[in-house]
Amino acid sequence: MTTQYDADVVVIGSGALGSNAAYELAKQGRSVILLEAGSRIPRWKILENFRTSSRKANFNDPYPNEPWAHTSYDPEYLENTGSFNFRPGMLKLVGGTTWHWAAACWRYLPNDMKLNTLYGVGRDWPIEYDTLEPYYQQAEEALGVAGNGEEDQSGQGGKAWPPRSQPYPLPPDATTYMNQQLVKRLAPEGYHYIHEPNGRVTRPYDGRPACCGNNNCMPVCPIGAMYSGDMHATHAENAGAKLVTEATAYKLEKGAGNKIVAVHYRKADGTDARLTARYFVVAAHGLETPKLLLISDVANSSDQVGRNLMDHTGIGLLMIGDEPLWPGRGAVQQGGIFNWRDGDFRKQHSAVKHSMSNAVPNRTITERLLKQGVIGPELDERIRHDAARWIDVGTVFEMLPNPSNRVTPSTKKDALGIPMLRVNYDVDDYVKAGKEIAKKDYARFAKIFNAEVIEDESGWQNRDHIMGTVIMGSDPKTSVVNGDCRTHDHENLFLATTGVIPASGVINPTLTGVALSIRIADTINKEI
Amino acid sequence: MRANLTSHWLGRAAVALAGALSLGAHAQDSDLVARGRVVATAGDCAACHTSSPSRPYAGGRAIGSPMGNIYASNITPSDGHGIGGYTEQQFADALRKGINAKGQHLYPAMPYTAYAGISDEDMHALYAYFMQGVKADDNAVPETKLPFPYSMRWTMAGWNLLYLGDGIHPAAGSEDERVKRGHYLVDTLGHCSSCHSPRTFLMAEDSHAYLAGAKIDGWIAPNITSDSVSGIGAWSEDELATYLKTGHVKGKGQAGGGMAEAVEQSLSHLSDDDLHAMAAYLKTVKPIRDPNDTKAAFEYAGAAALPPLGEREPVRPDGAADPEALRLATTTDGATLYAGACASCHQPDGLGTQNQYFPSLSHNRAVGMSAPDNLVMAILHGIDRKGADAHVAMPAFGRDLTDAQVAAVATYVEQHFGYPDVNVSANIVADMRSGGPKPLLLRLTPYLMLGGVVIAALVLWLLAAMIRRRAATTARRRR
Repeated sequence: MTTQYDADVVVIGSGALGSNAAYELAKQGRSVILLEAGSRIPRWKILENFRTSSRKANFNDPYPNEPWAHTSYDPEYLENTGSFNFRPGMLKLVGGTTWHWAAACWRYLPNDMKLNTLYGVGRDWPIEYDTLEPYYQQAEEALGVAGNGEEDQSGQGGKAWPPRSQPYPLPPDATTYMNQQLVKRLAPEGYHYIHEPNGRVTRPYDGRPACCGNNNCMPVCPIGAMYSGDMHATHAENAGAKLVTEATAYKLEKGAGNKIVAVHYRKADGTDARLTARYFVVAAHGLETPKLLLISDVANSSDQVGRNLMDHTGIGLLMIGDEPLWPGRGAVQQGGIFNWRDGDFRKQHSAVKHSMSNAVPNRTITERLLKQGVIGPELDERIRHDAARWIDVGTVFEMLPNPSNRVTPSTKKDALGIPMLRVNYDVDDYVKAGKEIAKKDYARFAKIFNAEVIEDESGWQNRDHIMGTVIMGSDPKTSVVNGDCRTHDHENLFLATTGVIPASGVINPTLTGVALSIRIADTINKEI
Repeated sequence: MRANLTSHWLGRAAVALAGALSLGAHAQDSDLVARGRVVATAGDCAACHTSSPSRPYAGGRAIGSPMGNIYASNITPSDGHGIGGYTEQQFADALRKGINAKGQHLYPAMPYTAYAGISDEDMHALYAYFMQGVKADDNAVPETKLPFPYSMRWTMAGWNLLYLGDGIHPAAGSEDERVKRGHYLVDTLGHCSSCHSPRTFLMAEDSHAYLAGAKIDGWIAPNITSDSVSGIGAWSEDELATYLKTGHVKGKGQAGGGMAEAVEQSLSHLSDDDLHAMAAYLKTVKPIRDPNDTKAAFEYAGAAALPPLGEREPVRPDGAADPEALRLATTTDGATLYAGACASCHQPDGLGTQNQYFPSLSHNRAVGMSAPDNLVMAILHGIDRKGADAHVAMPAFGRDLTDAQVAAVATYVEQHFGYPDVNVSANIVADMRSGGPKPLLLRLTPYLMLGGVVIAALVLWLLAAMIRRRAATTARRRR
């Protein structure tokens, strides 16, 4: 008996992860339908929205917050019940949240994936770095990553690490004056300032122009030099995938043999549709993916769906240094300090990453001075003075998976009648111990730059790296997906989200998510 | 006789023997191979015959034509799949006469009517290069299968009788050695006229309008005669040479489309002497002026004053109150579209950046031409060009802008920065999306077929179809 399907594979979510999976499958000749809750909005329109906005510091502001496709700064859409206001800047449109990110494209270290074995805390990944390596390379080529493959990215000043099978597809961006000076002053103090591999192309690549330093990576790269997921949504379409926009998946339907047989979605106008397929890939990000599983009552025999929510919850340091460094030239960030990325200390406290912002700081500085009552020519002078010397350190901490940090469907519903999100999130002692280490670094940074400290007690900050909510593991009793991102409960249901990540490390997880997504496509392609 | 008749195997054996016995001879061979590489670059063989940069000359690139794809052949010295079995005579016949080693006629996608003028010395070097300087690659190229009547390769013979000449346009006057060299590079190796000369009804190059400009694949290959208004007469020799080398000259223009490819693959690799020779020759070409032109395209800088900032970047409706205002990308207001799509690079005033990495739209030939084709094509398809100085790219906007939006923003650009009397319509944009207007002959083909026109005419139509950039000849009536 042959069954007719609407597609070989339905991919739910057209962000960087879903679109890369869809493209890889379509490229291999599979019929693919890509569902997207939001609309397709061209870059020029988003740029117009940004230019004409009076809230330029709000990175979600240029993107529509529709009652049927909310963005995450809407408190109704995402409510919090814990001690911390967990609020990543998530978007709903073709391309997803990579429309505004800083495009950091780090790989995990082999040790990051063996956290429990090596340090007795948290969880191990069920797969090893070597398994992921070829997919990291593919992901870097897809995103057009510019990087320096010669550095020890574990931050110990050793040999090039982690291992790579191929060089970065693009050479690193030129080192800005600020970064040259940072290295000059930090290195003698034992800090390893590492270039950040990033998805901003340094020469024309895949139809994208080279980054010219607009310094506007968030909320939108005005020229498309920085990678965004819509690029692969377009590639997927060109390879034959069908993209359906304004279509919110609200139910995964179970059938015989515990397989998923269909996805139900609702259009913005309220009409419903059902799609059948051999395989389903949910790529709806780390909050929406577990929510869809929970409201569909699938994949949750472990009771871990939605739990173990991790961000790289962080803190910040602002100071005015003793020499002009001229932040704002080039991309919004170029590197970081990784001395606390890996080591035996992880038995006691979280790993720590400090990154130095290279964003134009004038708005922040001006607001501060105006609050102090500085006006007239002095205001101009002070803006010039402070903006040249501004040092903005963003610190992130490695989180451990904790079942009580979780996302659940809210009792509140969106305009389509679909439950919205409720999060409960607290920061544990492992991170708090890491914070003490970071604060010691802050004191040293202030000394190294003879700086006037503006703020070193920022309170916990969002870092928008959602992990753990559909956690990966080898034991179906304690995890949601296996090492292939396949749900333990349903053999034809895969999850393409950073929510699978079981050990967070300190690096931005998108590249890893894309690598895992390409691997999902590979797995499905071999089985069809 | 143009080429020596030494048999292939003897030739190869001799070369090998010489190489083994004498270092001096080996050095000479290397020089010969190096000279052959220069000829291959000037002839831009790689443009068609290299499909993937990692497999030079291994063929396989599909040259699109309305009749179907013509696959560029593998011209590496592979015995089974390339030209490893070619004697030098067979090699020369393919280049000059369009006849392969099997005696089949090549489709004129291969510009043999231009290569007919290749000197014996260059042909010898070219052969040495392809046999010794190119790595054999066993890439199997798909067979070109055009539908009847275009499948009849033998019919090329008739057309060749009419149009296969000596591969060079007659000189306008006496030429010194340098100009003569430029003339050879422009006509024979560079086959410039295959794009830059207009075609007659039967798609032969119009020798009365040599290099006077033509439409090709939606782009305009501009008039490059020495006329100071319609052509390149107002460009200095240095500017022309720089343009060929880098693909751009401040205040004049930038290469896009097929010319960007020619710069990238061929011209940027030529010696400065050769580029100056080409420029010097172009300055001697008989001037041809379009009577409608009153000043050079690069002189135009628009007529309309820019709208005030408040109009270009109005404070928008509150997105929190009306998300539809952020979502719907339906405007056809040229100023709004320019601000969103163009101004980040070309700047609100259209003058580009100070270093002209992002070029000015004023004093820019593509924007100052009386026809908007090249501006519209650049918007639709973008630019990607690696010149001798830099690799630059403009993204394609064909997906993000509707025909009406492209028309609106192009009109805005023309009126404010370029030729002010152009009004671009959505219909023109739609035409260009599909590759530009088709030649009359091609449009008439179905009717002519119905009329039972003779095979010979069909052959001419076939050629019409083939004539695209690279897929073109320097066809002229034999004198």
